[in-house]
Amino acid sequence: MGSSPVTIPFTFYRFLVIGLTALAVLAPLSLVFYQSVLTAPFFQPAAQLSLNAYRFVFSDNDFWTAFVTTVLLAGGMTTIAVPLGAALAFLMARTDVPGRHWLEPVILVPIFVSAVVLAFGYVVALGPVGILTIAVKDLIGVIPWNLYSFWSLIVIAGLTHVPHVYLYTAAALRGLGSDVEEAARTMGANPWRVATGVSLPMVLPAILFAGVLVFFLGFELFGLPLVLGDPQGLLVLSTYLFKLTNKLGVPSYQLMAVVVVAIVAVTAPLVFMQRRLLRQAQRYVSVRGKGVRSTALRLGKWRWPAFVAIALWFAITVLVPLAGITLRSFVETWGEGVVLSEVLTLEHYRELTEYPNVVRSIVNTLGIGVIGGAAAVLCYTAIALAIHRWPSPWTRLVDYLVMLPRAMPGLVAGLALLWVFLFFKPLSPLRETPISVWLAYAIVWLAYGMRLISGTLIQVGPELEEAARTIGASETRVKLDITLPLIRYGMLASWLLVFLIFVREYSTGIYLLGPGTEVIGSLLVSLWGTGAVDLVSALSVVNVVMIGVGLLIAVRLGVRLHG
Amino acid sequence: MADLTVNDLALRYGDNEILKGVSVKVPPGRVVALLGPSGSGKTTLLRCVAGLETPHRGRISMGETVFFDAGAKIDLPAEARGLGLVFQSYALWPHRTVFGNVAYGLKLRRVAQDEIKRRVGAALAQIGLADLAERYPHQLSGGQQQRVALARALVYEPAIILLDEPLSNLDAKLREEARAWLRQLIVSLGLSALIVTHDQIEAMAIADHITLLNGGVVEQEGTPTALYQEPATLFAAEFMGNNTRLEGKLVAKADQRASIEVMGTKLAGLARSSAAVGDKATGVIRLEKVTLAAGPGPNRLPMTLKTQMYIGERWELVFVKDALSVRAYSAAPLDRESCHVEFPPQALWIF
Repeated sequence: MGSSPVTIPFTFYRFLVIGLTALAVLAPLSLVFYQSVLTAPFFQPAAQLSLNAYRFVFSDNDFWTAFVTTVLLAGGMTTIAVPLGAALAFLMARTDVPGRHWLEPVILVPIFVSAVVLAFGYVVALGPVGILTIAVKDLIGVIPWNLYSFWSLIVIAGLTHVPHVYLYTAAALRGLGSDVEEAARTMGANPWRVATGVSLPMVLPAILFAGVLVFFLGFELFGLPLVLGDPQGLLVLSTYLFKLTNKLGVPSYQLMAVVVVAIVAVTAPLVFMQRRLLRQAQRYVSVRGKGVRSTALRLGKWRWPAFVAIALWFAITVLVPLAGITLRSFVETWGEGVVLSEVLTLEHYRELTEYPNVVRSIVNTLGIGVIGGAAAVLCYTAIALAIHRWPSPWTRLVDYLVMLPRAMPGLVAGLALLWVFLFFKPLSPLRETPISVWLAYAIVWLAYGMRLISGTLIQVGPELEEAARTIGASETRVKLDITLPLIRYGMLASWLLVFLIFVREYSTGIYLLGPGTEVIGSLLVSLWGTGAVDLVSALSVVNVVMIGVGLLIAVRLGVRLHG
Repeated sequence: MADLTVNDLALRYGDNEILKGVSVKVPPGRVVALLGPSGSGKTTLLRCVAGLETPHRGRISMGETVFFDAGAKIDLPAEARGLGLVFQSYALWPHRTVFGNVAYGLKLRRVAQDEIKRRVGAALAQIGLADLAERYPHQLSGGQQQRVALARALVYEPAIILLDEPLSNLDAKLREEARAWLRQLIVSLGLSALIVTHDQIEAMAIADHITLLNGGVVEQEGTPTALYQEPATLFAAEFMGNNTRLEGKLVAKADQRASIEVMGTKLAGLARSSAAVGDKATGVIRLEKVTLAAGPGPNRLPMTLKTQMYIGERWELVFVKDALSVRAYSAAPLDRESCHVEFPPQALWIF
């Protein structure tokens, strides 16, 4: 007996993985907390323990303005995204709205396109001298909107987060039996009454969860407020943090750390609240998840109006900014009186190749997406396997551990990782390589990746593993011979999704940006700051194309676009 | 070959006690069935023996080898127990062929390639699936999958084979064939086997010895004939066979004899409990023992025919008298409304 060639007990592996995960998660966070109670950057010998940084930040009016703005922005976008997302979910999941089969992946596009790219797109399309703005002005003589206003920011943030609400609400709605709707229908309710009176109330826990999620994402917003709010001096917490870098002339790490602590103090409870709400929502659905038969509710004369409403939302949220940025990348210049046919050019794309940092950013982005994505999936799988079907309180600890990084917005996580690289000297050689960016990405998306892998693992019947145990396989052998081969397609699908997320990511790389660590996302933010609109447009299109190809492959392979 | 001995095993999930001290013995070459309703703990007991659950009290051993001993803190991992377990769902690995599934146990034991081929081939031939070795599980019928699962558990010659509801996933016709085949295979290989089932007929057909579980304790054990003909408890009497039940009052008791009063009529039967005269009592009788008479007599109740159903080889009749309802079998349909139902005293158990 005990013929397994692997002699290291699986328990050793478990604790090794838990230890490494804890280190990767807790080191950056602890460093931030430590830095926040110092008087100077941690690497300066003069740094002393003190709460001065807290006093400074909390007495700064700009901080409080940014805080209130963030709350208003998050609240406003939630107010817009939740009803629209719920309505969209009802139409897509329960009715015969035209095109609902091919619309599904299309609706999710805003989740996968980088928010800065969308923001740039809005500026070049709807800004004061935007392509669409000028066209409208030529037509009716006035500009009916002002892109650089707080209201525009809220509306755009709200519209781009409709898919998040849609995802969770639609999933819950699909679990409902259509009998409850048919009952209402036979009693004389029209589709609108069915939605608001029967279907949506039944999935309220899912909608509630989505609402908290969107509010939480409001605290993470960076690209949209940076591009759309900054020109009018509108600061949210993340952009306040970003501007703080130069507030005192010297790198004021301790102040940044305090802002990070303030952000995490809000986001961490929201993350844990989401976890509880999600459980509740799933319980709600699974109760009636048995043998549901679902037939589409016929909308009748409302079919096409409903389709037009969806198309309108999609046009404003995706088409206008993406078409804008694409068009901008093919023209020399844009302004009033410019004739399109005279300014068409491919010059900007050629220019991209002239800048070594731009070329590196494209190579690094692909590398981090493809190779880094695979490596991240392997890491997530290693962690998920370590706690898979382990009846131990340690699994709860790991559950919480992997959720912690979720409380750090990407910008913050990138900053914390930068400090880790500066603090732990043996790591500093990695600082100038894309590995540093990859590590930050992998940690930021830990919770997401773990959810993907656990979702796959849960589908492996326990008796398949038990059968191998009774036949004589050790725990390690079972994982290698049975569990891993059974989840290989799930791992491939996760790889694709992680690729999309990594290619899209922009905020996490900002503080790590330097020669050798450029990625498209962070370089875009930096180039936008210098006003290089031509380059930014072309590079944005490159980024969107990468994501588009990834999405196409995912859809072709039938990968579910959400975990 | 050695005895599998389970001694005073107890297990709970949280506050929920699943097993409350169960002892079972499987002598070499014998087939023991764990029979009981769902929730009786029979599958949990099997999983404890396999090493997939951890009890908090008791001892499990195979000859000299101790699998589990709560007192001595011994808990041999599942892979070190060397048992064969056939799952209710078969649990065939979908990513391996039939050959790959069966060969895995031999590979783990570092058996040489040639030897693996030979032994897997022999095992597959034994179950009549020699030419399906390269198929994947999803390409097999339910009955074939069940046999592959069996071959997988037998190929490395385990000291005992554990079967969890092995036939429950087969449809009714196939199940009866498989029952005979399984019994014959186990006996011809001289295997020890522990079989979990909720089906009393299956248990009686396959096993040499039945352990009847109820609520985490052993209700009764013995040979199939003993369990069927000499039930020790009301539960055992009602769980086996098809019965009719008479509620009443104990009016007399002497030695092995007792009498129960049902609706004013005294019925004599066999005393099966410690109930005292005057206590409430329940009479249980197998349907096939109930007879019908034209006129009154001892141990007979005058009753009215309520309905009769043709069930193939015979008729099932339902008689009523006020709140009392009694079932009986008859070779032919009854052509009169009222009838005297007789409960022969040597077949009526009084609890």
